[in-house]
Amino acid sequence: MVNLNTVRPKNGRDYYIALGLEGSANKLGVGVLKHPLLPQHEDGDLSFNCHAEILANVRDTYITPPGEGFLPRDTARHHKNWCIRLIKQALKEASIVNPSLDIDVICFTKGPGMGAPLHSVAIAARTCSLLWEVPLIGVNHCVGHIEMGREITKAVNPVVLYVSGGNTQVIAYSEKRYRIFGETLDIAIGNCLDRFARTLRIPNAPSPGYNIEQLAKRCANKETLLELPYTVKGMDLSMSGILAYIDSLAKDLFRGNKKNKTLFDPKTGEQKVTVEDLCYSLQENLFAMLVEITERAMAHVNSNQVLIVGGVGCNVRLQEMMQMMCEDRANGQVHATDERFCIDNGVMIAQAGLLQYRMGDVVKDLKETVVTQKFRTDEVYVAWRE
Amino acid sequence: MSLNHSLKLEIPFQTAAQANIAKQVLLPDPILKPQDFQVDYTTTDNVLVVGFQSIDDRVLRVGVSSVIDSIKTIVETIDELGPETKELQSL
Repeated sequence: MVNLNTVRPKNGRDYYIALGLEGSANKLGVGVLKHPLLPQHEDGDLSFNCHAEILANVRDTYITPPGEGFLPRDTARHHKNWCIRLIKQALKEASIVNPSLDIDVICFTKGPGMGAPLHSVAIAARTCSLLWEVPLIGVNHCVGHIEMGREITKAVNPVVLYVSGGNTQVIAYSEKRYRIFGETLDIAIGNCLDRFARTLRIPNAPSPGYNIEQLAKRCANKETLLELPYTVKGMDLSMSGILAYIDSLAKDLFRGNKKNKTLFDPKTGEQKVTVEDLCYSLQENLFAMLVEITERAMAHVNSNQVLIVGGVGCNVRLQEMMQMMCEDRANGQVHATDERFCIDNGVMIAQAGLLQYRMGDVVKDLKETVVTQKFRTDEVYVAWRE
Repeated sequence: MSLNHSLKLEIPFQTAAQANIAKQVLLPDPILKPQDFQVDYTTTDNVLVVGFQSIDDRVLRVGVSSVIDSIKTIVETIDELGPETKELQSL
């Protein structure tokens, strides 16, 4: 039996407050989340419906110039510079006067992600925990996305498509674990889109692939798709080859390489393809691959719900394509969130961390708070679900 | 090769409790190459004492600067968010 009220709120309060700190990539997020203590949580699989109230959700993104990616060391420096300021701002927004009394648990991202940025946030989390004498909990970043998505959309048991700058996974819950049904074999989808954006010299803010999506919308020739490699391997995907190919097309386009018959008419030398066409075809191709493996996972676990999470999840075209697939299935539903929750944020870490905390999980020795770059979604024991 | 390049840092905090917090925060992180670089943290009263040993100056410099970066974050956290901070109460 799942009893989400295993650990009671501090100081006889009738609600829990969690502080969430996220900094696994170029976004630094701090969130404050409140869960009321509800009798129905004593016994029942209700972790998707905690009546969570978001008291603060602040974020600062380390933005690099167009054409450049973010490097671990510079990102870590950004997080160090902003972390304390953001925590103060979040506490202020949430009207928390005395963190020692008012916060039940501090949640931070333990992994996966870039080592240096994760570490700089973990240092701040440990210090706060010791200063305020508030327990700590390390959260898996992917589980954070899943739990926030479930709480916002109230999807009970969805197949989760987790698409971001660093991860591409199709996940479904089974026997106390979030199991990975399919994933990328090389680079993440957001990474693929971001790197293509770098080739095009367009910015990567606010979320991976956002500016490619904007260009793709302006594609005038949506009837003809460029032929790109379609690389679904069983339940897995490969995207590095697609990137290399479309990168070479873009470079030929910029150079005006008339020998390229895909881009230029061999007789007249007229340009047949625009940058917008490239963006559109790339999106259609990549998203079709995602939809295919998601549908297979749904059939396998007998689910009719899809939940899209992660930074690429705010892409409206991806949501549309997933919707089309779901409409062909009995009672198919797509759940997605907007940029506040899709893009990395502190609240999602607070949500997953608070669920862990309410089930009695807590850091007993600071040695457990060492961050890890590799931390697979299925390593987490999901105590809060049946 | 022996670890014969060394450095000792002494960082005074306002209280012994603060120095102790800093030590506890720094202790858990493992050293990536223990055969090339080692750190030990101790406190005497309100002073955090960090001893570094390394195989050469370059590794020493890199290791020391990363620990100093962490200490800066800890000091800022204590300064800005500690229970002694009056400002937080008035937010």
